[in-house]
Amino acid sequence: MIAKMFRVNKKNTIGYFFLKLGALALLVFLLDFIIGSVLRHYYFKQESGLLYRTTYAIEKTTDEFLVFGSSRANHHYHPEIFENQLHQSYYNVGRDGLGILYHYAVLKAVLKRYTPKTIVLDFIAGELDKDAQSYERLSCLLPYYKNHPEIRPIVHLKSPYEKFKLCSSVYPYSSQIFTIAAGNAEFNKKRRADLKGYVPLWGLWNSPAVVRNRAEEHKLDPNKVKIFESFIKECRQNEVKLYIVCSPYYDKSRQNDPSLKKAAEIAKNYSVAFFDYSVDTSFTNKNLFFSDAEHLNNDGARFFSGRLVKDILLADKKPERAHAHIKS
Amino acid sequence: MLFNSIEFVIFFVVVTTLYFSLPYNRRWLLLLISSCYFYMAFIPIYILILGFTIVVDYFAGIYIENAKGKRRKLLLITSLVANIGVLAVFKYWNFIVDNLSYLLKGFALDNPLPHLSILLPIGLSFHTFQAMSYTIEVYRGHQKAERNFGIYSLYVMFYPQLVAGPIERPQNLLHQFRERFDFDYDRVVSGLRLMLWGFVKKIVIADRLALYVDAVYNNPDQHGGLTLILATVFFAFQIYCDFSGYSDIAIGAARVMGFKLMTNFNRPYFSKSISEFWKRWHISLSTWFRDYLYISLGGNKVSIPRWYFNLFFVFLVSGLWHGASWTFIIWGALNGFYLVFALWTQGLRNKLNKITGLARLPQVHQAMQIAVTFFLTCFAWIFFRANNVDEAFTIISKMATLSGSLWYESPSMMIYSFAAIFLLLAMESKQEYYKGSFTLMHNKNWLVRNLTYAFLIILILLVGVFDGGQFIYFQF
Repeated sequence: MIAKMFRVNKKNTIGYFFLKLGALALLVFLLDFIIGSVLRHYYFKQESGLLYRTTYAIEKTTDEFLVFGSSRANHHYHPEIFENQLHQSYYNVGRDGLGILYHYAVLKAVLKRYTPKTIVLDFIAGELDKDAQSYERLSCLLPYYKNHPEIRPIVHLKSPYEKFKLCSSVYPYSSQIFTIAAGNAEFNKKRRADLKGYVPLWGLWNSPAVVRNRAEEHKLDPNKVKIFESFIKECRQNEVKLYIVCSPYYDKSRQNDPSLKKAAEIAKNYSVAFFDYSVDTSFTNKNLFFSDAEHLNNDGARFFSGRLVKDILLADKKPERAHAHIKS
Repeated sequence: MLFNSIEFVIFFVVVTTLYFSLPYNRRWLLLLISSCYFYMAFIPIYILILGFTIVVDYFAGIYIENAKGKRRKLLLITSLVANIGVLAVFKYWNFIVDNLSYLLKGFALDNPLPHLSILLPIGLSFHTFQAMSYTIEVYRGHQKAERNFGIYSLYVMFYPQLVAGPIERPQNLLHQFRERFDFDYDRVVSGLRLMLWGFVKKIVIADRLALYVDAVYNNPDQHGGLTLILATVFFAFQIYCDFSGYSDIAIGAARVMGFKLMTNFNRPYFSKSISEFWKRWHISLSTWFRDYLYISLGGNKVSIPRWYFNLFFVFLVSGLWHGASWTFIIWGALNGFYLVFALWTQGLRNKLNKITGLARLPQVHQAMQIAVTFFLTCFAWIFFRANNVDEAFTIISKMATLSGSLWYESPSMMIYSFAAIFLLLAMESKQEYYKGSFTLMHNKNWLVRNLTYAFLIILILLVGVFDGGQFIYFQF
């Protein structure tokens, strides 16, 4: 009976069905390969824009001073000030909306190619909190999965099936057609230029201080805590000078943030400098420095960068300054 | 286990392969075991709740069949109370406690009832209603009581429709578990085709629109009227594609194995009236309420005021069925009001159509009717989606002023969203108005047909939202 079912020349048999399914699979494979190859070509052809900055960070940086972090890293560290005062070439590898999992993957890729002298990791409040989105956002690493085995363990954190999904050539570029098109059209270059990865923000934050209710329960994500420690360990092993920095916020609601507390504790254990400006009164409620409640504008970034350089130089001379919760 | 997950794809392939490899008389057992596994993939312990209602209704069915007179009715009531009791505890308890507390506060009294910290079992309202339809049908004499406990359990637990319907009737589903379904190529392909379209609806359309809707509806204070209007329109399409996508996958998965489940959606946004909308939207629930509540209340064979009351009441209960919140109750009441108002003004509207000449322009009239129905439905969806009643009214007041500029995170967000809606409307307009003309998925040419399937699969990979999460109706 089973042999009968698997015959391929009769319509109502499983064999016939699989034959047709195989033909469809071939068609899907061909289309997937062609479209995927076109997208890959144009993805890596970009020379500006958001996606290009990740490619540059992973595959092209050669600078001595690197800034890691999310959008706050991207907008808060002015290259001119660091280059002039620390005499090191600068690049900002920060990317909007991404957290420690992404930063660690980029670090692994960078360290595979060369060893920068200094790294600043911009650490945000809630960085180590449990949050499914930070895993979903690892999608931005998928285009690099094929050629960068060092980032694969991080991509696998996204889901146990990621390896299988990546059999598709199109999947790594899912939902990125328009961003790739914009990158190739140099749309972002015209709209929002970056200066060595630093993207200045303009405008003033005119709204009153919004002290948010942060009483909700924060749960730390053990994966993220582990990765954060690995980030520190990698820097130490490669003799990279690491500074972990929580840059300023407009309001003071992050005062007791569990992620910040945990990060400070870990940094102390590894004797790594940790500067917390989250409630620094030089910045809180100063409209002139902010573009929105989370981000400094260009003036704020210049002022903050100057402050940070001073603190870095001071900490290098007096290591006890390296674990400061800066309040004024 | 979510339909839009790799786990489900593996599960479906394994179960279907085993299903066709087993002798006919053992297949129900495989389906029962796999349905238990499917349900336990959510929260395993909750299978005990399902087990409780299954045991109660199984014996109730047999006893009802054997009983006569008042005892028969008493047994039905016992079964219904057990089912509704489970719903009351797990779904409505905290809602009742909260409202009681609010009420007692007015009299300076404390509420003695405690809050329960329990999670709502997935799809509780769906399988409870399916179980209730069994005992009611046995009571009415339309269905023989099922003696095989395993097959009865499978009727309640059949995995394709276990957590979000369609809510089946015993007359349609029970006998199918004993039928012999051979492997039929056309039927299997038709089932898979429906599943593929369901996946497109969920992953490409619903979850894409959800990105915008969630961003706006979770912070309505920070958005202007235009943004809120767009988010509401997007939500109308999101919820349709989310739920009908689930139904398509469920019906398709069952069809592959040979089972025929009832149609649950029939292009509802082409409805020309609210009454028609409810004949096309969540058909299995609408007909459930019609058969077991509306008709029991007397239906339309009563005085006109009572008829209006019956309609309104049924929709009020339907709102409550969706969730233990005032937002759902208002949503149900609004729909009830629309229906009653439409009946009440029928004559007047007919006269107006004649006076304005609309009656002589049927296509313009139809387009206007569709637009008005869509507008009314969208207005009701505000309450369905808003996090609470206060927010719903804030949203409405902001919409009325059309304040603020249109928010969007990136231009691509809007392009994907509008393209997704366009794809849906193109497919559905074709099905609605151009039946029998050129088809893609049903084309006679093998290449055209398979290129369409391949295109849809690539579309999922290319623009699908893979981390979209669970279906909206699971919470009910």
